[in-house]
This record gives sequence, C-alpha cells and structure tokens, in this order.
Amino acid sequence: MNKVSALIFGCNSSTNEIVKNIQSKYKEIVVFKHKTEPRNLELERSDVEIFDFGDTWEFLEDIYDLKNSIVFCVLEDDAENIFLTISLRATFKELNIIALSKNKESANKLTMAGANKVIPMVQTTAAIISDILEKPIVTEVLHNILYEKSDLKIAQVEIDNEDYFEGKYPADIEWGRKYGVTLLSIINDDMSSEFIYSSRAKHHAIRNGDIFVVVGYERDINEFKQLIGKDI
Amino acid sequence: MKRLIIDWAYFLNRSNSYQKIKRFFYNFLENETYKYKKYFDFFMIMLIFLSVSILIHEVKNNLNDFLLYLNTYIISFIFFIEYILRLWVTSSVTDIIIKNYENDDMLGREFRVYYTFYKIFRVKLKYILSVKAIIDLLAIIPFFHQLRLLRIFVLFRVFKLFRYARSFHMFTSALASKKFEFITLLMFSSIVIFVSSILIYVMEVNSVGSSIKTLFDAFYWSIVTISTVGYGDISPITPAGQFVAIVVIIAGIAVLAFTTSIVVSAFNEKLDETKEMKIINDIAKIKKLYIICGYENIAKEVAKQLIKNHHILVLDEDPERIANAKQDGIIALNYDPGNIDSYKKLRINIDTQVKAILCLRESDVENVYTTLTVRSITKNVYILSLLMNDINKDKLSFAGVNEILYSKEFVGMIAREFTGNPVAFEVIHALRSGYTGIEIEEILLDNRILSSFITVAELNNVKFRLVLLGIYRQEHKRFFFSPLETTILEHGDCLVVIGNSVFIEEFKKYLHKKIRK
Repeated sequence: MNKVSALIFGCNSSTNEIVKNIQSKYKEIVVFKHKTEPRNLELERSDVEIFDFGDTWEFLEDIYDLKNSIVFCVLEDDAENIFLTISLRATFKELNIIALSKNKESANKLTMAGANKVIPMVQTTAAIISDILEKPIVTEVLHNILYEKSDLKIAQVEIDNEDYFEGKYPADIEWGRKYGVTLLSIINDDMSSEFIYSSRAKHHAIRNGDIFVVVGYERDINEFKQLIGKDI
Repeated sequence: MKRLIIDWAYFLNRSNSYQKIKRFFYNFLENETYKYKKYFDFFMIMLIFLSVSILIHEVKNNLNDFLLYLNTYIISFIFFIEYILRLWVTSSVTDIIIKNYENDDMLGREFRVYYTFYKIFRVKLKYILSVKAIIDLLAIIPFFHQLRLLRIFVLFRVFKLFRYARSFHMFTSALASKKFEFITLLMFSSIVIFVSSILIYVMEVNSVGSSIKTLFDAFYWSIVTISTVGYGDISPITPAGQFVAIVVIIAGIAVLAFTTSIVVSAFNEKLDETKEMKIINDIAKIKKLYIICGYENIAKEVAKQLIKNHHILVLDEDPERIANAKQDGIIALNYDPGNIDSYKKLRINIDTQVKAILCLRESDVENVYTTLTVRSITKNVYILSLLMNDINKDKLSFAGVNEILYSKEFVGMIAREFTGNPVAFEVIHALRSGYTGIEIEEILLDNRILSSFITVAELNNVKFRLVLLGIYRQEHKRFFFSPLETTILEHGDCLVVIGNSVFIEEFKKYLHKKIRK
C-alpha cells in the first residue's frame, strides 16, 4: 500500500514553517528542492529530493497514495510555482494542492492552474495586521482557537445519531448549556457553510450526514462526538 | 538695584501663571497650530474690513458719532493692544536678563545692566523694524484722528490682512524665494528705463510738435512703454525716437515674459511645499492616527484595509513609493521614517495622537532602525513590525517592538489548520473577512452598558440571532468561552459575538440604549 504523505515542492523558509507545523499530522514529509534553489541548512538533515521542471511526475503515483496525500507548492518565484502547479494538475486530476503566492494576481493564476487552496502571502499578512489593529481580542481568540495555542479547539463533527435531536432545528438547541460547545456553522451539501442563525440553517432539521463546525474545549468536543457523531 | 532686576527676572521666569499667560497670548497671536487662533484672525480681518468700509463711507457722507468713535478709538485701541502684546511675546526679556547674568556670573564679573538692556533693546527694535510690525504701527496711526492726512493710514490696516491670511504668507514666501531673479529683472528694467529716458529726451525734446518737454515726460513715456501699457498720450515723432521706442517695446515684452515665468516657477516650486504644509496641518488636527512606515506590498494592502475606518499616514523615503501611495488616495509624506526630524516636522504628539506605528518595510534592518528611532522619542506608542527572517526576531524585540509578525509562520500555521480542519478553517476565514455578511465582533462593556446589564442572561443576544462566543476579561487577560448565564459582567469585559453584521449593530445600539429602571 502506498504511503499517505505531505509532499512539499520548494525548499525555503516557508518550507521550514510548513514542516514544523504539519509533522504531527503526517508521518512522512518529503521535500522536493528545485535544482536552482539555494541550500536550506535547516532541512538538510532530512531527506530532500531534487527536481526539475522538465521532470515527469507519474512515478509519484507508484510511491505515494496521492488521493489522500497533500502537496504544497511553495517555490519563491510565482511564475515557477504556477508552472509546477499546472504540471502536477495536468498529471494528477485528484491531487490536493495547496500553493503559496506572493499576491492576489498570482493567486488567481494558481487557482486557474489547478491549486485547491492558495495562500496569498501579502494579503494574508495584511489581513492579519489589520485584524490585530482593529479587533485585537477577536484576533487573539481566533488565533488561539485556530492555531491550537489554547485549550479551545475548532472541530468538524458529522452527525451520526439524528434520533438524538428528535427533528429539532439547530438554532433551537442551547448547545453551550447542554453540550459545552458553541455551534458556528452547518456545512451544506455543496460544502459551503451556513451560519447557525441564517434562515436556511434555521429551517433545517438535523439529519445524519450533516457536518457541524463547533468550538469548545477538547474534552467537550470529544464527548459531543461520542454522543451524536463522528470526527471527520 | 541689580539684585532687584535679577530677582524680578527669575521670579517671572519661574512663575507658572506668568508663563501660562504669555504662552496663551503667544498661541493666540503667533502659533498657527493653535486651534483658537483662526477665530482671532477672523475677528481681526472683520475689524479691518469694517474700518476700511467706514473710511469709504466717510468720503461722501457724514459719519455719525458712534462710527467715528468706533473707527478712531475702539478699533485703533484693539490694534494698539495687539501691537503691544506682539511686542511682548515675540521675545523674552527675562530670558535675556537671566542668560546675561549667568554668563557674567560664570566668568566671575559683575552683572552688566546696561549691556543687558542694550541687548533687550536690540531684540525689541529688530521686531519693531520688521515689515509686519511697521504695518501694525501704521495701522494704529488713524487713532490720531485730528490729523486728517493721517486718516489715509487706515489703508495700512488692509496690509494687516497679510498677517491673518495664510495664503498671503504662501504668496509672499513664494515670491521671496525668487529674490535674486527679481533683483536681476529690476536691474535690467532700471537700466533700460534710464537709458531710454535719456535717449528719448535727447532725441525728442527739441523737435517741433514733440510731446516730450521735460526729463520727467521722457521717464514717464519709458515706464508706460516698457510695461507694455502704452497710453499713447506721449509718443516719439523723430525716426531716432521711434527707433528707441522699438528697442524699449522689445525690452518690455522680454521683461513681461521674464516676470511671468519667474512668478509661475516660484509657485510651481512652492506647490509641493505648500501641499506638504497642508498635510501636516491636517494631520495635527487628527486625534487617532496610524503611521505606516514604508509603502511596499504588505504596507499597501494594510493601508487599503485601514483607510476604510481610520486615519493613516504613510512615511517613506522613496519618492516613487510615496507617489504610489498618493495615487492610491493615501496621505503620504516623503519623510524618512528612520529619522527623528521626520516626526518633529509632523508636529504631533505621538503618545496621544498616534494609535500605532506600523513598521512594514520588507527589510528587518530598516524596521529595527525605524523602531529604535521611534523608541528614542517615546517608550509608550504601540509598534507593530514585520519580520522577514526569523533569525532577526530577537533584534526587533530588543529594539522595542510590541507585536512582531512573521508572515512565513502564518503559512505554516495555515497549512496545519488546512490539512487538519479544512472546513472549520474556511468558516473562521469567512467570519474574519465578513464577506458572507456574518462577522465576528468585539463589544467593550462600559459603565453605561453595565448600568443596564448585570448578568450574561440579561444580554439577550439570542434575540438578535447572535452567538456569544465568550467574554474576554481584560483585567485578567483571559477569555471565558461560552460563559454561564449567571456570569456577572464586569467593567472592561469584552463580548466576542458572531452574527449578521446588521444584527450586531442593532445589538450594540440595544446595549447602549437600555437603561435599567
């Protein structure tokens, strides 16, 4: 059986940060360094593969379980990153690609090239700066939740025990008092999210297969999962 | 006697009330940034117009006693008081006495009273002989109303307008910057007028039918011709005189063209400076301001976000980037953010007027330098800085940055969250950006709100379809997630609510409106 891995194309300071953050989730992280990239001392201790834009990528399928693996394209040059993304997408239709771009213009091109998620560095950093200045408390709370710096967690829970709710609507349940969690959103069939008090969510009886996005302490979330659903 | 003078000088110099009064009048009369000065200026302009109107009215009508009294005594007296106050505030007599006394004392010699008074006299005389002070003095003269001729000095009051209107300052300073060119032009014109007057006099005075009879006629003709006015009342009739006229006419065109170009170029050169002064004056009035140091990619985006709800000022030493900022509709000055003078020129109180200084140059060296510059001015202002290379984090922290942002670190954290909880990540992202109409907002509980609401249950957020994510207790710097309904609200608590932006606004209004009976 092929391995579920994180494949990172590009060997720079962003790579270091990605490796640091995802190593608890992926047993195997493989870094691909373009032959023209400068040395990255921090990553030299681990295995680094060398690649070129002329390479064919079919061999990846033989080694990795690409359907469940994730690919990061983090080359510093946006044009090269776009070329790499389009090469990978042309070879593998179902690959999950996360790409890094300097700005919004390149982000659009990366999306067109087939990246599933693009992180525009400039816009992301600017948004965080303005959030820190305009809503410092909200930013701190959300960062602590998102980046697991506090005991609070955010989780996606799929409902597997609809009888428990007896056809109730999400907005009618006191989630905090009963389960110790706060329900934020319900995920639609098209994977878009619906706020709990939106009119669509208000008229949606809880059914099996619904995905809830909840915030709470880890213990409460786990109890909630055991009670009504399963983690995804 | 000497002792008395020195004691008196020290007493006044250290007297808070004396200094306060003097500062007040200085601000009122001379400080362009003082917010009440414009009212005083307006009042004085009105007095000038009133005085001139009375003068015009007097030409063909008999003045009633009140107007006569008003113009002769009251307005003149106000101008006189103003003149005396200006004479007082422009320099400090006590400072001169103390400085001279201390110098003499240090050198071990006796205090030189006469020399000190001579210095005071020189300083005050310098002011009295300045153009503005002379105009002020002449404007007071109509006070001596009995001398009818002196009444014409009312017109000097019009010149006082220069003192009160800033645009006049701009006009005169623009022209003053071209002093050399104007002197050259004046020399040239004088020579042409002098030579042509004599030539035309010599050529025309003895000719039959010539209208030039005296040297004054010749001089008058030269001035009228060179200025390109050409009344035609005096004109040369001899071929030699007509040749002189041709030369003077050509010289006149040159003088006119030269004058126009000097004036235009003077204003062009002053334009940037004038705009800069206007920006600085406008900024001085802003109570809460963000200063962004540098205008590169991230700074551009931050400015774009902040300008929606806040006042921002961009400082950058690169003229091209400043031009970009101005094009983006942002107030920007071509000042080096790493230079103390840049902040001095702004004439703002960084501690009270600046909400935060954002060091957003994409260079750690520049950001450290800017931070140290700001920290050398004040320790209190909040500084946020970008970090481009994580090995420099300690340096920025040591320089005094309050919040350091390493963008690559966010890439790692986003990657982790996206690989773990992709949907939850998108939900939070949507909340933060607010593009779905659902926002997350913080609401500070002040005394007014607390007088109406005691516990969480009373907030009634569900009625407004809002999720109360928690309460941030600033005193303990702790976030209480999903608080119990019985939780008692405290001063300084911050509610973190999620909901439709319109409902959040309504909820805020409700919190502020409800008053417990």
